[in-house]
Amino acid sequence: MLKLNAIQSGYGETQVLYGLSLEALQGRILAILGRNGAGKSTTLKTIMGLLPLKSGEIFFEGKPIAFQPFDIAKSGIAYVPETRDIFPSLSVRENLEIVAKRFGSSGAVWTMERVLELFPRLGERLENGGTQLSGGEQQMLAIARGLLMNPRLLILDEPTEGLAPIIVKLIHDKLQELKNTGLSMIIVEQNFGFATSLADDVAVVGKGKVVWTGSSGEIRADEEVQHTWLGV
Amino acid sequence: MFRHNALRYAVLVALSLAALFQALTAEYFGLEILTEILILAVLVLALDMVAGFGGQVSLCHGALMGVGAYVYALVSAKAGIAPPVAMASAVAVTGVIAWVIGAICSRSHGIYFIMATLAFGQMAYAYVFEAPVFGGDDGLSGISRLDLSLFGIDLDDSRSFALFCLAVAGAVYGASVMTLQSGLGRSLTGVMHNEQRMRALGLTVWRVKADVFGLSGMIAGLAGVLAAQHVMYISPGLLSWTVSGEALVVVILGGLGTLVGPLIGAAAFVLLKHEISAWTDHWHLVVGVVLIAVVMSGANGIFGWAEARWGGWLERRMADATRKHEQEEVVSDA
Repeated sequence: MLKLNAIQSGYGETQVLYGLSLEALQGRILAILGRNGAGKSTTLKTIMGLLPLKSGEIFFEGKPIAFQPFDIAKSGIAYVPETRDIFPSLSVRENLEIVAKRFGSSGAVWTMERVLELFPRLGERLENGGTQLSGGEQQMLAIARGLLMNPRLLILDEPTEGLAPIIVKLIHDKLQELKNTGLSMIIVEQNFGFATSLADDVAVVGKGKVVWTGSSGEIRADEEVQHTWLGV
Repeated sequence: MFRHNALRYAVLVALSLAALFQALTAEYFGLEILTEILILAVLVLALDMVAGFGGQVSLCHGALMGVGAYVYALVSAKAGIAPPVAMASAVAVTGVIAWVIGAICSRSHGIYFIMATLAFGQMAYAYVFEAPVFGGDDGLSGISRLDLSLFGIDLDDSRSFALFCLAVAGAVYGASVMTLQSGLGRSLTGVMHNEQRMRALGLTVWRVKADVFGLSGMIAGLAGVLAAQHVMYISPGLLSWTVSGEALVVVILGGLGTLVGPLIGAAAFVLLKHEISAWTDHWHLVVGVVLIAVVMSGANGIFGWAEARWGGWLERRMADATRKHEQEEVVSDA
């Protein structure tokens, strides 16, 4: 579904990715794991066109990916950033509508009603401002906003970052529900247990490259990879 | 995104009543000052829409106002076309020009955006100054006001014209609120908070900025039409960058991104100008000191300061009153 071929990218003159290659398959969850600074978030930002691709190729559904972030989003990839980026002066409803009105065609799978069914907590907070939400609610809103883009691939950067364990479990259950619908996902995550319990496939990133790939079961059984590349 | 609160409603009502009272009771000079305030209010509403809610600090809104005034003058006075058509043409032409400027400048930010808009403004000023069709430095005269005699209104009368300007300013305020609360306004708010995020959400950012700049330009053009009708004469000075600079001063003085603040700023600026210029020619100096004091205070202009001080208190009082009223209703129902 999404294929990265020897991509190189970084921030200005600081190169972070050195020929990173990986593939996310249709209807499956790919977890990208790695230590801090390994290049996980940089990979996602490069996919989304938020960082320049210096060399290499990215293919989405067999075609070269678009150049501009808005074209990439329109092609069917939704990105939920680590920072969540809720618009603070807009209410929950407005944060959702800003996307729903753009992507909500008559045949859209994800509608306001359906995302509120998935996250009933947001339904109770529709008129609250973005800054009046807890971290967990903000994460739910960020995911809901991504879903309203009706993506074929949902990309989540550190969805459990800074959340209480009970909320982490809630997010886990919601992502499991999404997985059951057949939605393809890429998850970048520091929480090893969270990522491997959700993902089908795992790619471990170290020093700007993919250093290991396999299934969730395989990485759970491979203590050497966990110790060497993840510090688990 | 723009929202009304109790203080905003209260200030709006107070300003409207004060303007209405002045329009109904003032003598000629007072009516002229009121009209000047109202025309400036329309211009600063246009500027606040882009600068306060989109982060696009424009230094060409004076020029856009001038474009509106000149198009109106050319179409009505030179071509002899009826004023309502001339007004619509002026607003439409200014809107299109503003949209193009917005589309080009939307790719720049901060100081570069300011400089780009300044360059467009100066280009317009230089062109109007040099092209014979615009009358050069002499400007254009013989501009007529809108004919509302069908409704029994004579706009050549200062009082009627002041009331007309008040109605226009009210309509422009309503249109600005509607725009900012629409999907376009929400998108603009998102762009101001995080442009990159909005792109990743599939938004064509330059288009949103250009659309809002175009709408803002239409309002600035309308202010120009009113200015042309008010004085019945226009000169290239209307397009000068100093007009844009003054409008920006008014927006900052009143409260950027509040809509209500710039209205207060317009009133304060014009009143200060007239009061102080009666004493000294150096009235700009005093306005400058006031502006520095406002900026250094750290508050968002006069209205921002008032809102920080009393806004929350008023909201709580209103909420308490509503709760008390609901409790009384429950008791009486029982």
